[in-house]
Amino acid sequence: MKSTRRTTCVAVAVGCLLIACATAAGATASAKSVTISVASLIPGSSAAAVQQFNQQVAQFEKANPGINVQPVEYQWTAPTFAAKLAAGTLPTVFEVPFTDARTLGENGQLADITSYVKKLPYYSKYNPAVLAEGTTSKGKIVALPKGAYAQALHYNRKLFVQAGLNPNKPPSTWGQVITDAKIIAQKTGKAGYAEMGKSDNTAGWILTTVVYSLGGRMETGSGTSAKATLTNPLTVQALNMLKKMRWTDNSMGSNFDMGWSDINQQFAAGNIGMYISGSDVYTNLVQASNIDPSIYGLAPIPLSKNKNAGVLGGGTLAAVKPSANAAQKAAAVKWMDFFYEQPLVSKPQAVRNAQTLVANKQPVGVPALPIFNLKQYNLANTWIKPYINVPLGQMKPFTTGVFKQKLIPEPGSSTQSVYAALDPVVQAVLTDKNADVESLLEQANSVAQSAISSGA
Amino acid sequence: MSSVDESPARIISQAEWSKPSVRYGVRSLQLLLLFGLVVFGLGPILWLAKSAITPTNDTITHPVALFPHGFAWSNLHEAWSNVDVARYFWNTIYIAFGSWLTQLVVATTGGYVLSVLRPKYARFIKGLLLATLFVPAIVLLVPLYVEIVRLPIVHHSLINSYWAVWLPAGASAFNVILVTRFFDNLPREIFEAARVDGAGPFMLFWKIVLPMSKPILGVVSVFAVLASWKDFLWPLLVLANPNIQPLSVRLPSIQSQTELGVFLAAMFIACLVPIFGFLVFQRSFLRGPGLGGAVKG
Amino acid sequence: MTRDSEHRLPRRTPLTWVRSGGLSTLLFLLPLLFVFGAFSWYPIVRTVVMSVQHTNLVQPATWVGLKNFKAVVHDPLFPIAVKNTAYFAGLALLFGYPIPLIGAVLMSEVRKRRGIYSALAYLPVVIPPVVAVLLWKTFYDASSTGVFNTILGWVHISPQPWLQSQGTAMPSLVLESTWANAGGTVIIYLAALTSVNTELYEAAAVDGAGILRKIWHITLPQLRGVLLVTMILQIIGTAQVFLEPYLFTSGGPANSTLTVLLLIYNYAFGNSLGGDYGKATALSLMLAVFLALFSWIYLRATRSWSTE
Repeated sequence: MKSTRRTTCVAVAVGCLLIACATAAGATASAKSVTISVASLIPGSSAAAVQQFNQQVAQFEKANPGINVQPVEYQWTAPTFAAKLAAGTLPTVFEVPFTDARTLGENGQLADITSYVKKLPYYSKYNPAVLAEGTTSKGKIVALPKGAYAQALHYNRKLFVQAGLNPNKPPSTWGQVITDAKIIAQKTGKAGYAEMGKSDNTAGWILTTVVYSLGGRMETGSGTSAKATLTNPLTVQALNMLKKMRWTDNSMGSNFDMGWSDINQQFAAGNIGMYISGSDVYTNLVQASNIDPSIYGLAPIPLSKNKNAGVLGGGTLAAVKPSANAAQKAAAVKWMDFFYEQPLVSKPQAVRNAQTLVANKQPVGVPALPIFNLKQYNLANTWIKPYINVPLGQMKPFTTGVFKQKLIPEPGSSTQSVYAALDPVVQAVLTDKNADVESLLEQANSVAQSAISSGA
Repeated sequence: MSSVDESPARIISQAEWSKPSVRYGVRSLQLLLLFGLVVFGLGPILWLAKSAITPTNDTITHPVALFPHGFAWSNLHEAWSNVDVARYFWNTIYIAFGSWLTQLVVATTGGYVLSVLRPKYARFIKGLLLATLFVPAIVLLVPLYVEIVRLPIVHHSLINSYWAVWLPAGASAFNVILVTRFFDNLPREIFEAARVDGAGPFMLFWKIVLPMSKPILGVVSVFAVLASWKDFLWPLLVLANPNIQPLSVRLPSIQSQTELGVFLAAMFIACLVPIFGFLVFQRSFLRGPGLGGAVKG
Repeated sequence: MTRDSEHRLPRRTPLTWVRSGGLSTLLFLLPLLFVFGAFSWYPIVRTVVMSVQHTNLVQPATWVGLKNFKAVVHDPLFPIAVKNTAYFAGLALLFGYPIPLIGAVLMSEVRKRRGIYSALAYLPVVIPPVVAVLLWKTFYDASSTGVFNTILGWVHISPQPWLQSQGTAMPSLVLESTWANAGGTVIIYLAALTSVNTELYEAAAVDGAGILRKIWHITLPQLRGVLLVTMILQIIGTAQVFLEPYLFTSGGPANSTLTVLLLIYNYAFGNSLGGDYGKATALSLMLAVFLALFSWIYLRATRSWSTE
């Protein structure tokens, strides 16, 4: 019958379509060139920032004709990274913090680039402590350092002047921080001191920083047998300081759910007198919030007289996707060499990098910590000296003070989970006048301990 | 929907309405309601429109004031070009279109089989569909995600492909049941007549059933487009590439890097199409939920 | 099933199956079977399977029996999430259920230009939810120059902490959620109200019933079906709230807005080193079973009310 024949024709057509679809899913294999995707800038960066990045990509591709580089917007945050990792949507070269790199490497989620790295001419100049952050227990190198930072106190010079404080003499003790915060809040109506309080581990990160500066620690031991020490008396002291500023002095403003980007944004808008974050955030302040350079001041974190007091140090590493093939791995390491390391070890590249940044009005000379040895660090700084366009004079308290401070690495085991356990404690103190600090810390400690013991 | 004293006597009979106390009492209640609707329903949207063209500083320091220092049309311009609202906007439209098409295809073909063709196994399929109706969406989230990352058999990933959003959207048991019910109510005699005239199943579907189904197709379409517009978590998970993300996913991720005035302008632009679409297609919107939800005792 | 007009003994061969339209039926069913099979039925089965496994997507999965369920139940965040979800659902029901009904009753009696009322009521529903949440987040700025706090200042009420306090965070979420969703409920009620048989009202008027009595004895009973269905739908919907806690507060402050959905999300995607998909699917399953049981009990209990 007519309709039967038509039916059969349709069936065959549908079948062919299905087969065509199934086979269309293949990736195109390119003849000679290798294509890698690389982490570029955080979402929402200014057009100028994007442009300078693209210029650097162009320079790299010109010098390496067989490699095709695709920039991919990227920002590491604890909640989003896991989804990207599971879905395999990370770019070939991506960035991870010191806290996670080793565990990811142990779990086989970062490519082994040891052989490529060892061939780099400056391999011996690496600061061993920094390189160790990207090396697994078996000695496999899975990530290269991008940058290291120490926590620092950022302050608004303009608000200081308005409050009658000397902008060239930032507070050097916690007592002074508390007093200055109160004065700023009273005289300018802005938050004198602000602290991150978002539920994305940044609240716990900053609290840990404050506790380190008082001499406390969050963990003893290492690996899955480490012990969580969240309940130590110095944590209680840090939280009580927060309590005083928040409830007694009312010097912390009204909004307490700021994360890393939010607090930068608020600071650049002139709403915060002082806050703690990594020493390298000036770049973000320029790129995302167009900060007025004259208001920026950088000081070292005040340390207490406790002999264990130190400044929390961290950093970022660049790693390669485990699914990358040999050609891609080689290309990836070449990119990492060009983009992350060359500006620190090669004068021509440092100069060219600086010139590109300056041409696009991006900051050059933001204080960083050495990832190579100190000699190399000082040398690299002299190369870019003519191009520095950040208010280095206003950052002098930090650049002269930080090297006198003891640099302490973040808690070694299940770092992000420890921070996550502390988030609700910080939030409770900032939102509940009658928060029971001790019992909150007890709960947080058991959560952190179970995370540490299970290796999460 | 609008009527001028044509409405038949309802709760308030003509006799009661003629009493001034009732008339004024009810009218003032209704005016109060209207006032409430304008202030609470329309108010936030008007504020958004106002703030979209107000300088950021004014929005922060005097949020409820009306243009104390003039306008900032640049917000809109920057939102359109720098924040690139246009791109995410088209992404949203494109995603809605694909989801709409998938849902329509699945619902009409499925409903056609279950209602008109009625094979022996129709009851079994219907049962499976009803079962999924009771399964809340959350149950699917994790395994669906894992499956999209690595499809069984073909081992291909649909991440960053719009199919990852379109295909699961088609699996709406509600749509299929709605359409099946509607088809059930179509007069069978027309089908018989067509069959006698020699129409095969395809002809019957294309030339008879579909043209008669315009109302239900309208309802399903409205649901489909609205659901796609509202979708957040799923596109957030499967569309990692920022260039293909819809507005709902993109806006939160750029909030802390974008100046407030520009951000509000971007949000306002994001509202324009749904508001405009609503005003134009009011009837379908307002009839749809009623049809879908009205269940008699 | 359509049969050809042939009078042979119906011997079921593939050919007769094709001839009698079996193939075309299957072809029509293909989209449904493919889409549902791949993206609905298979994932449901997989949820059950994954809930008794330990998976991290890199290594092959191992069977762990009920360990995931036990881990979820013993998680200190679990009772918090359940309590918060119930709180949200309860508050949402309190605000979002009677108010639309009262509004709809008033609107159904509007003689002129009822369209404006329905349009205004439904307008917040068409605003993309993400925009609504981000907009309200701006409103909820807790400083004295925040939008809501400025307005409160006009009537001499001191600035409220809104999202910055554990006591006010959840109600703030419910307020926005009600704003964004009540319009849909209003329209449903309105449709049901306008379909009530007017003769009933006339008969009651003849019996001397006033307005309020008519509402109580006729309107509400006639609406029983719609009211019951909207209530259960609203409960099921609010039990799965994710967007508001995720975008407004990320579950804070201090887990006061942590809902079950958010906890599932955190299990699966919260840990930067990799998710615990076993716990996530276990909790999803627990929620689904709970909602199914709840719906069944609800339908049984209300069956006696809705049939008269």
